[in-house]
Amino acid sequence: MTFELELRGITKRYPGVLANDAVDLAVRPAEIHAIVGENGAGKTTLMSLLYGLFPPDEGDIFIRGERVEFSSALDAIAAGLGMVHQSFKLFPTLSVAENVVFRQEPRRRGLIDRVAAVARVRDLADRYGLAVDPEAAVEDLPVGVLQRVEILKALYRDAQVLILDEPTAVLTPQERDQLFEVIRRLRDAGRTVIFITHKLGEVMAISDRVTVLRNGRAVADLVTAETDPAEITLHMTGRAVDLDRRAPEHQPDQAVLEVENLTVLGGHGRAVVKDAGFQVRSGEIVGIAGVAGNGQSELIEALCGLTEADTGAVMLSGRDITTADVAGRRAAGLAYIPEDRYGVGTIRRASVSENLLIGHHREETVQRRGWFDRGAVARLTRRLVEVFDIKTGSVSGPVSTLSGGNLQKVVVAREMEHRTPLLIAEQPTRGLDIGAIEFVHSQLIRYRDQGGAVLMVSAELSEILALSTRILVMFEGSIVATLDPRTVDEPEVGLYMTGAHLEAAVA
Amino acid sequence: MLERVLNGVGDMSRRAVRSPVTFSLLFAFALAAAIVAVTGGDPLAAGGEMFTGAVTGSGLRNTLGRSVPIIGMALAVSIAFRSGIINLGGEGQMVIGGLAGTIVAIYVPGPGYVIVPLAMLAGAVVGAVWGLLPAYGQTWLRLPILITSLLLNYVARAITGYLVRFQLLDDAVTLTSTRQVPETARMPKMPIFGGVSLSLILVIVLVALLWMVYTRSVAGYESQMTGFNMRSARYGGIDVEQRTVQVMVVAGAIGGLIGTHLIIGEALRFIDGELVLAGFAWTGLLVSLLAVNRPIPIFITGMFFSALQIGGLAMQRNAGVSWRLSQVLQAVVIVAVACRLAIRRGERPSTEVSDAESAAVGEV
Ligand SMILES: Nc1ncnc2c1ncn2[C@@H]1O[C@H](COP(=O)(O)OP(=O)(O)OP(=O)(O)O)[C@@H](O)[C@H]1O
Ligand SMILES: [Mg+2]
Repeated sequence: MTFELELRGITKRYPGVLANDAVDLAVRPAEIHAIVGENGAGKTTLMSLLYGLFPPDEGDIFIRGERVEFSSALDAIAAGLGMVHQSFKLFPTLSVAENVVFRQEPRRRGLIDRVAAVARVRDLADRYGLAVDPEAAVEDLPVGVLQRVEILKALYRDAQVLILDEPTAVLTPQERDQLFEVIRRLRDAGRTVIFITHKLGEVMAISDRVTVLRNGRAVADLVTAETDPAEITLHMTGRAVDLDRRAPEHQPDQAVLEVENLTVLGGHGRAVVKDAGFQVRSGEIVGIAGVAGNGQSELIEALCGLTEADTGAVMLSGRDITTADVAGRRAAGLAYIPEDRYGVGTIRRASVSENLLIGHHREETVQRRGWFDRGAVARLTRRLVEVFDIKTGSVSGPVSTLSGGNLQKVVVAREMEHRTPLLIAEQPTRGLDIGAIEFVHSQLIRYRDQGGAVLMVSAELSEILALSTRILVMFEGSIVATLDPRTVDEPEVGLYMTGAHLEAAVA
Repeated sequence: MLERVLNGVGDMSRRAVRSPVTFSLLFAFALAAAIVAVTGGDPLAAGGEMFTGAVTGSGLRNTLGRSVPIIGMALAVSIAFRSGIINLGGEGQMVIGGLAGTIVAIYVPGPGYVIVPLAMLAGAVVGAVWGLLPAYGQTWLRLPILITSLLLNYVARAITGYLVRFQLLDDAVTLTSTRQVPETARMPKMPIFGGVSLSLILVIVLVALLWMVYTRSVAGYESQMTGFNMRSARYGGIDVEQRTVQVMVVAGAIGGLIGTHLIIGEALRFIDGELVLAGFAWTGLLVSLLAVNRPIPIFITGMFFSALQIGGLAMQRNAGVSWRLSQVLQAVVIVAVACRLAIRRGERPSTEVSDAESAAVGEV
């Protein structure tokens, strides 16, 4: 048979790293093909090569049996490929339709025909069940919808093969289900979808076949129906991993973080966090659950001093930090793993080691009277890279060469190293492979057992249930419930997250 | 071993050949040669005059002398740029600091080894204050430094103009100028290449110091990280406002030092409007951009621009080609480097981009 797409012996070397090592990949027409592998296994690199972003060092690419050589993504698009990157490339001030038709605008008498553009985009969106308003401005749209716009962009260019790099990492469970629906429709319409993910549940739910990458090599090509998560994990890591284990219990102690009546006003003077009050005690992990956009991010940013709270009080280890700036809060004993690892958590243009130093750079151990002890800095860097198994060619190289998961590890390693009384962890395992998730979970539990207080926000309910001592549920800016993870299950928490219990109470 | 060394050399030369700076230089010189040829001159002769005029005899002395303000002002602006601060006020900081230094040099009696350092100190302090104003404007009142620092240049000109005209005027000459700096209060010259100002040593020390600061100090690290990404820096506990103030103080102080040097080491009189004529602050800005704000490249580039200007004057004298051609050269180098950088940025594929950045990017 002819494959829709075939890669043979693809190799890509970076200084000190063999990102892809003679990879073979065969994708059949109208199939959903999952690609899995640990952080740094070479998934993104392989897809970028396929999409013509840079050429492979060795190896050939065939599309429908014909050998192709792309010198840029434009060639790949012309050959019927479409790629949705993990972060989006859209013009925020333009409308959805304008973004979709960009550079291939329908024309009438030499001018762009806006009416036709909107109509075509609407038509395309309807056909595949992509709920988008073509006339909405991109900057007003939530992430899940932006992703649909990116998919539309690819479909508008008539992509036969759609490549999605970790598309579900930024989606809520509802949005993920909608995306799966779209992917299935695409397959039923004869298109091919390549799909990168770290979540084996998703692999099982949606893919027809799965290719496993490990250390740059393709180590397995499996038919999904004939395999199971355990086998895939074994191929990925060479060992078995158990994620469902619940954290052993631990007796909480004194309050470390005390929040009272905290209200944060958003852009339009509307309260995005309403009168929040809670405590986090030493020796406990408090998990915040909620559908994305219900005030979790704003609450955390206010606690860390990145935005100002409107009213309320925040105490950390008995000290009032309500008006302190970030530096003051950090000094008072707080470390913070931010949700946005690209824009906040790391500095793209700085090196790996400079990134690991952020926030540690004034500590007595690495500097004296304002001058760095370079040996100590190197030791700190080396230790964090080793303990968290950060895969990097060189620590003095730019951090932007790290894979998504390894970048996340940089942030997590650095912030946990502070060993502060309070750790705020926002989506701590986003983009990590299962081995790394297991490791970060065990580190969080150790943090707690050593008397640390952890406040965690996560879109993964399983993570919240597995780790938390208590669960706070946020809905429309308010904390609407405090739950005991021993007595609730996922669907129940889900109900609180959608505000369903409130309606029940009214009725 | 030998192979590794050879490879290393090969690698370096390959990088040098591919570097946008090399390309731009070649391009600029080719264009300049073409202009000379088209206007009926002899490009080779002009180039020869330019070269010998810049690096031989008194030309070498002049090149070294002129490099002091160019490199100095480039260093001043580079530290601001590195922290992401657009300080366009170098000129004002230089002028007002320069007048302060001049006043000390003229009116405070004492031996040279006291007065010269004292004058430099006065220049630095007043320059720093002039840098402090826009810094506080930004941190307290949210007025962008870009605008206030630029506008303060005109204020500095006006203040110094007033002082020179109405308070410090030397009636003995027809210039609108202060008195001459007394012999004892002048910046000494070193007995090399026919007398090069001691300030060159000051500039070299500054280059070394800044290199140290940016490679191994906490202050340098914090400034650089702030320049890379202000949000991340703030998140990491860096007091961005405080750093802004510090950076503007240091930048202003360097400006004031250079301004003082230009009077007590070169012109010897503060003539109204004269300090801004040569445009050192702006040449320095271009040098800093070209050298991507790094101290050692700034030293090299600054020397080169200085040689270009001095050589241009020699070329006009001896080959009859206007010295403005070296200005054209300077401009073409800048534009070419900017273009090349922009093109290369476009080429580099980035697999994962921050949301903030991708917001600005379009289709592939
Ligand atoms: N431009 C580059 N320069 C140097 N090394 C690079 C570059 N790009 C990628 N690498 C390295 O290649 C390896 C594979 O990276 P890739 O991004 O493909 O991993 P991935 O499988 O997508 O991982 P993740 O699941 O963490 O996103 C990593 O070790 C990475 O550090
Ligand atoms: Mg990746």
